[in-house]
Parts: sequence; structure tokens; C-alpha cells
Amino acid sequence: MTAPATTPAVVHRATRRSAGRRARKAGLYLALVAGGLAMMIPFLWMLTTSLKTRAEVFSSPPFSFPTGLHWDNYTKMWFALPGVTFGTFFQNSIVIASLATLGQLITCSMAAYAFAVFDFRFKRVLFALILATLIIPFQIVLVPNFILYRFLPFPLSESGNWIGTNLPLWVWAFFGGAFGTFLLRQFFLTVPNELADAARVDGANPWQIFVRIYVPLAKPALATLAIFQFMWSWNDLLDPLIYLRDLPTYTTTVGLAFFQGQYVGKWPEMMAGALVSLLPMIILFLVAQKYFVRGITLSGLKG
Amino acid sequence: MTSTVPVAELTGAVESPPRRFRPGAARRRSDTRWALLFLTPTLIGLAVLSAGPILATFGISLTKWDMLTTPQFVGLDNYVRLIGDDRFLRALRNTVFYTVVSVPLGLALALALATALNQQIRGIAWIRTAYFLPLVTSATAIALVWLWIYSPAGPLNDILRAFGISPQRWVADPTLAMPSIIAMSIWQGLPANVIIFLAGLQAIPAEYYDAASVDGAGRRSRFRSITLPLLTPSIFFTGVLALIGAFQVFDQVYVMANPGKPGEATITLVYFIYEAGFRNFKMGYAGAASWIMFLIVAVATILYFRTQNRWVHYQ
Repeated sequence: MTAPATTPAVVHRATRRSAGRRARKAGLYLALVAGGLAMMIPFLWMLTTSLKTRAEVFSSPPFSFPTGLHWDNYTKMWFALPGVTFGTFFQNSIVIASLATLGQLITCSMAAYAFAVFDFRFKRVLFALILATLIIPFQIVLVPNFILYRFLPFPLSESGNWIGTNLPLWVWAFFGGAFGTFLLRQFFLTVPNELADAARVDGANPWQIFVRIYVPLAKPALATLAIFQFMWSWNDLLDPLIYLRDLPTYTTTVGLAFFQGQYVGKWPEMMAGALVSLLPMIILFLVAQKYFVRGITLSGLKG
Repeated sequence: MTSTVPVAELTGAVESPPRRFRPGAARRRSDTRWALLFLTPTLIGLAVLSAGPILATFGISLTKWDMLTTPQFVGLDNYVRLIGDDRFLRALRNTVFYTVVSVPLGLALALALATALNQQIRGIAWIRTAYFLPLVTSATAIALVWLWIYSPAGPLNDILRAFGISPQRWVADPTLAMPSIIAMSIWQGLPANVIIFLAGLQAIPAEYYDAASVDGAGRRSRFRSITLPLLTPSIFFTGVLALIGAFQVFDQVYVMANPGKPGEATITLVYFIYEAGFRNFKMGYAGAASWIMFLIVAVATILYFRTQNRWVHYQ
């Protein structure tokens, strides 16, 4: 738009177009914000309902705010089940998710290093096999894995085997995984050869090169894997449902599902429980959103 | 080891070796040993926890086994009985319905949303956060919230009443139950698909659009002739994952349907497997059901891949 050279008619058209563009932009903003709010409505209802009294829940209109902040719903929920608090479930979930994450970080980075750096027979076949396990519905292994864990002895448990303990929920993580191996291999392939070469000249063996060069460089990719594995373990329902037997061993998801079965119709307490169980993940997401986005775009895997 | 480094550099310059360490028989032997060391946990896992068990499941599916008595070989009896089991057929039908409805609808919505969110405007990061939030939530907690939304006194019926429509029973209604669960799943599944599509959209070179604008192409025709074709690899990829994920639906069903005993209207394949294996301890029966599920998913995936040449444009 070179203003001096243009005729008045052209200028007029240009301003009209930019006014139209501005209106379009405002409309877009409005639509995006409205859509974003619509996406948040379930969270909003969860929050407002958790702060209402039970009578209020049934009498007030859906978009109303609670008349008072009834935080006691949270304490009621926390101590609702006999013999345990919700804190126990939290603790169980944290232990399981942390151990599973640790296992995946160690063994996936090792496998990824092998695929990225070494040359060996059947490498492509093996890598393809690992990738194939990504698209196989894992329920196919439920039955034999259950049998395996029932066969493995564990003297401290009531059953004498792994059933009823949290072992089946995290020990597997110390034996590799497709998602982490794929994600980290992609990252290791981008590490410049010169770094490893220089270390080798200095007499470092492949293990030292792995620990001193590759692992420190891969911190962003490791963070992505850690976040995803923690989230998957935290949110998992089917496996804890199969393996955990006693209330004190329950994770937050199983605890929540059990709670729902016991407290039908007690919506404020239930919403408080749901919200509390989501809180760690929501905070993690707000802090580390870019890792979530990167993990999804790199591998396409979902939560 | 260090003495042969120059050799590696020489051969590297000549034929650019596929991997970073120098080629040669000695190198390869050493590589194999190291690789084996690094891969030991993965190989054990593959044999004992995934590849091995897939075969084991087939073996178990040929038996009658309650885990207390010794397994009895019954041949293909479990498979024959499954095909005549109304509850299994219902689970299969429900799962297929869930997949066929939720996958295309979810992808179309995600595509529209991603296009809208692919703007360089101020505050877009904040707006995206709002859309992405359901990504990290557990289906269990989310199902509880939606159970409240769908409950007789819940907000959805309140809204219907405001418009003079009679309240519905949603998840408690045999015809509405599955669509209600689908609506919730689409909401929860949106962020992951949107993120993939956004990455796909951002990879399209801006010059394409500039060239099309010069040629006088409008907004809609640019979307149809540039955006959509160039996004087909992302759509294809997301489709595979959505398809496989949809077949595995369990958490929502377990929580939203009557706890412990979903009615016929909402049982899914994975619920059926869970119930047969871990409630009723019919291991052979559960194994057979999971093999049928595995085969259906495999066939569906292969068929889906076959369509690839017809609509996916790789640059």
C-alpha cells in the first residue's frame, strides 16, 4: 500500500478491506474464546458442584454459582471410605507412577541408544517388532500376564504371589517400551557423531558415551517420556482394577470408581473427588504443556 | 579400539556408513555385543510380556480353564461358543458402533478446531491451553463429571427443560446410552487429534497459500485444494490411532454404566474380556475373545492401510 500513488477509490477499498479483516478477526476471537469456554464447561461444573450443598445441586440452575463455599465436601470425600483416606490412594498412585516412569526412562533410553548407534543383525526386524506392539491392542496379553503374575511368588502378599500387590503395575516398565524407545531413538539420531567420536578417542566405551553424552543431551526427550508415562500410570483404570484387591492398595482411579459405586447420588462429594484426582495432572500440564504437545506431535500417541 | 579410528574416517568418507561406528567384522561383533547388553531388558520384555503372551493367549484360548483346576484342551470350542453368545455379539456390535461413530466425528471436529486454532493472533497460547486441557484427564474422573451432566437432575436436562424439551435419561436409556458415552469420548479425545492436525497445518509452506492467493483462490478453495490434501498424511495417521484406540474403550463404560454390571446397551469388547477373565475366571473364554478382538483390529487396520493410496497425498 503505497499511499501517495494510489487513487482515492483504491484507498477507500483498502480501508474497507482492512475493516472487514478486523471484523473477521474479532469474530474469530469471539468464536475461539466461546469454544474454549465450552470445552471448559465440564471442569467448571465439576468445580461449582463440588462447592454446593446436596440440596443446592438439585434445586439450582446449571450455571449458578454455589451460595457458599462448602469446602466440607472435600473433607467428607477425603474421609468417606472406611479405614482409608483419599491420601492413601494418592500415595499409591504416586509410588506406582514414579516407579513405572523410572523403569521406562532407564530401559527405553538404553534400547533407543542401541537402535540409534549400533549396527547389528536383525536390527530392522527387531525395531519393526517393537513398533508393531504400539498398534496392537494390549488387552490381548491381559490373560497370560495375569497368569504370569499369579505364578510369580511374593511372600509378603496375602495370595503369596504378585496378585494383590502393586508389582504388576510397574515392574513391566523395567523391561522396555515401544513409545519411549521410538521417541528417544528419534532424538538420539540427531546427536552429532563428532561428540561420540571425540569421547571414543579419549578412550570412552559405549556405556560411558551413553551415560555422559547421550543421556544428558536427551533431557527434553526424557522429560517428554517421563511426563507421558507418569500420566498413563496415573490415569490407568483397567490394570489396577484387575490386580489390586484391598482398599488400602487402590490407586486414585480405582478408588474413585469404587467411591462412585458406594456413594450414588452424592454429587458434591463425587465432584470433589474427581477434581482432586485430576489436579496433579492439570498442574503438570499447565507447567509442562510444551512437552505434552511435543510428545503428541512426535509420536501421535494419546493420553 | 581407538587405533582403527582413522580407518573409520576413511571408509566413512568413501561410502558413508549407515551408522556412526566404523564398519568391519570386528566392529560389527563388538557392536552386536554392546547392542545385546543395551537391549537385554527390552528383549526380555518382548519375550515375556508382549510377543510371547500374544501366542500364549492363543494357546489358552483353546482350553477351558478357571485357574483352580488344570486346563482342559477343548479345541476351538470357545470360539464356537462366543459366536453364539448374545452378550459377546452385543459387545462386538456396541464396540463397532462406538468406533464407526466416534472416529470420523472426532476427526472432523478436530480438523475444524485445528484450522480455527491455527492463527497467529495474540493470546492464542492461552486459548489453546483451554482446548488442550482434557488431554491429561483420566477417563475415570471425566466419566464421573459427565455422569453428573447426564444425571436426571443434572445440567443437561436443566438446559433441555429451559427449551421446553422433556428431560432424557441419557446413559440410563438403552438407545441414548452409547451416543452419550461417544459424545463424552469425543470431547476428551479432541485435544490429541487437534495437536497432531495443528502440527500438520504448521508444516504446510506459506508459499503455497501465497501462490494460490495470487491466482485468486478464495478461502474455501484454498482449504480444499491445499490444506486438505496436504493434511491427509496427518489425517491418515490420526485415523489409525483413533481406530485402534476406539476398539479398546473401557474406562468410560466401566464408570458410566451401572458400576460392575453395565447393561447390554453399553458393554464393549474389552469390558466383555474383563468380565469373562477377571470376574468369572473363564480364562480360555476371555483369551478367545481377546484373540477375536485382535484379529478384528488387525483386519480393520490392514483394510484402512489399503485405502491409503486412494486418498493420502505424500509430498
